[in-house]
Amino acid sequence: MTSDITLRTIDICRFYRRGPQTVKAVDGVDIEVKKGEFAAIVGSSGSGKSTLLALLAGLDTPTSGVLEVDGISLQSLSRKELAAYRANRVGVVFQSFNLIPHYTALRNVEMGLYFNQTPYRERRRIAGDMLDRLGLGDRIDHRPADLSGGEQQRVALARALAKQPDILFADEPTGNLDEENSAQVASLFDELSGRGLTIVLVTHDMALARKHAHRLVRLSYGRVVTETGEVQS
Amino acid sequence: MTFRDLVTVSLGNLWRMKLRSFLTISGVVIAIAAFVSMLSFGAGNQKFITEQYTRLGLFTTMQVSERRASDGDTTEPAVLDNETLVLLSEIPGVNLAFPLDAFEVTVAFNDTVVTREAQGLPAVALSTGMFSQLEAGTAISSDSARQVMVDRDFLRGLGIDSVESAIGRTMRVSVSQARVDSGLAYLAQGVGDRVREEFSRLDFDSLFDDERYGRRLVYTGINEALKRFTTGFLQHRALIEDTLEICGVYHVGHGGMRRGRDLIIPTHSAIRFSTGGFTGDITDFYAALSSGSLFPEEGEISYKTYPQITLDLDPTVPFGPIKDSVEALGYRAFSFAEEFEEIQQAFIYFNMALAMVGLIALVTASLGIVNTMLMSIIERRREIGVLKSLGADESSIRWLFLAESGVIGALGSASGILFGWTIARIASAIAQAVMESKGLDPVDIFALPLWLVAIAFSFGLAVSLIAGYYPAARAARVDPMEALRAE
Repeated sequence: MTSDITLRTIDICRFYRRGPQTVKAVDGVDIEVKKGEFAAIVGSSGSGKSTLLALLAGLDTPTSGVLEVDGISLQSLSRKELAAYRANRVGVVFQSFNLIPHYTALRNVEMGLYFNQTPYRERRRIAGDMLDRLGLGDRIDHRPADLSGGEQQRVALARALAKQPDILFADEPTGNLDEENSAQVASLFDELSGRGLTIVLVTHDMALARKHAHRLVRLSYGRVVTETGEVQS
Repeated sequence: MTFRDLVTVSLGNLWRMKLRSFLTISGVVIAIAAFVSMLSFGAGNQKFITEQYTRLGLFTTMQVSERRASDGDTTEPAVLDNETLVLLSEIPGVNLAFPLDAFEVTVAFNDTVVTREAQGLPAVALSTGMFSQLEAGTAISSDSARQVMVDRDFLRGLGIDSVESAIGRTMRVSVSQARVDSGLAYLAQGVGDRVREEFSRLDFDSLFDDERYGRRLVYTGINEALKRFTTGFLQHRALIEDTLEICGVYHVGHGGMRRGRDLIIPTHSAIRFSTGGFTGDITDFYAALSSGSLFPEEGEISYKTYPQITLDLDPTVPFGPIKDSVEALGYRAFSFAEEFEEIQQAFIYFNMALAMVGLIALVTASLGIVNTMLMSIIERRREIGVLKSLGADESSIRWLFLAESGVIGALGSASGILFGWTIARIASAIAQAVMESKGLDPVDIFALPLWLVAIAFSFGLAVSLIAGYYPAARAARVDPMEALRAE
């Protein structure tokens, strides 16, 4: 894989069986994300945006269609290679933070480096530096329960960024935060985008998407309804 | 993830669930403790027997005895005599052949007089493994020395508890021998009176007319003569006496490990005691009658036969060919080394039976591990999803959970070995106290050899890993998206 990445989906579908019904979570989506782009996928609840993000992040596999990263189909990768893709090239931030509650902030961030062969000492140094950069230098020994929602999301972000991913996927990163914390996290995304990191943000907050993303993809019932390029001037 | 990461994460998770981990590990501890304490009993007994065999030099000892008559075998079994001793000592690999020359003696020590079995041994035989282990003093210096070696328990029976204090003291050893010439002398002494008496009552007419009267007269005469001979033979015994100095104290042992008689006396004294006459045992008389040695000379050993001859073997020569040579001479050979192999075989079955009990407990404990790990997976389903989102592949997740069951196994096995050994020590202390109270030598019947530690630890670890494999495989198959959605 080269570093000049492009994320591309061609007629990608993800259907679930739920009892006798087939749920079309993602139904024939074609999108393309260029290197360094900040793309926002928006839509109402149940529109399939989180499922699409899971597919792009290699956490789920499409029912049909093509999903390419740098021209390489993720479907062609073995489960081990797909895990390596998640371990080395992708950072994911979730709405509910998904921090491990019994680990400290430092250990949680370190976990992001467990699966890409980073040596122990290096792991601790990177995790400490990353928390420092996100303003949590004095919180490294705190457990998630002792941190505010904003702090927890910053720890989650530090964990995602510690491995220096090529693409950052964020699933409703401000969904559980108050206005002030939301603004802080959003400005972090701006900063990261400014440094050239490719970001795919999933949100139902249209205002947030319009304000920060370069491009907007709007989903409804698993399909792209509108796609707007270069939203932010 | 590195091995260190796996162990650190596993220990952290077990520490977090202290009570559950403690209970699960306890199951393994109890199982391994049972396994270790039982097998250490088998190993202890095995060690004791091996040590005894080595100490007594039994691995290089062979016993030769007369061949038992078998069905259809009409040949006379070859006797064990002094010629046999020469033949046996010439077999390659035989260092020494010495006979079992045992006889009953009367021992007078201080004011005590007791009857015991003594054994005559050449001084050279006392340097073999069977007799070289002394508790005090030294071995008999030469075949003509006026010395005696005595058993420790025999001394205790005489009221001497300190074996060292017996060294240098003397005891009077005597044998009363029944002799054919004593019988004949007594017979001859009575013949004159008897003839005179018979003549005074003799009915000469009946002697020529009545055949039965003459026959009865002869029979009566023979019966009377035999009665007088037997009385003289058994009652007018010759007393052979010697005063011997106690030079060494040894321990005969008990049961199958008994390696000698209560007294060991030098060959020259033994010959004096055991030749020239007979003991009260009538079979000796018959044996002498059949071998043509009814009138033995004192010190004459050429006619002597023995119930058993002991061979001291060269440890570098295999015992098989030696045994074959002995049997080719028409004797029966018993090899302690061969017997030891059979004992070892029996110990394998014994240890396997003991191990089965421990293994059953271990299998039960493994169910506890399966339960704990499955519970852990259910509780940490979301964590598994997070780890997969961070790049963990199925093998990493599998190893993470296997490591956890491995840590349970390792901690449980290590603690179980210590616990089992503690139980074994307590049991051994109790057993030794019981042995002492019964006047036996206290013996440690438990042992913890390295192989047992290694096997117990490996078993504990292996069973824990096997028990953890199914839960670990289940954890590896967890779908990350479903796990992350789970609350």
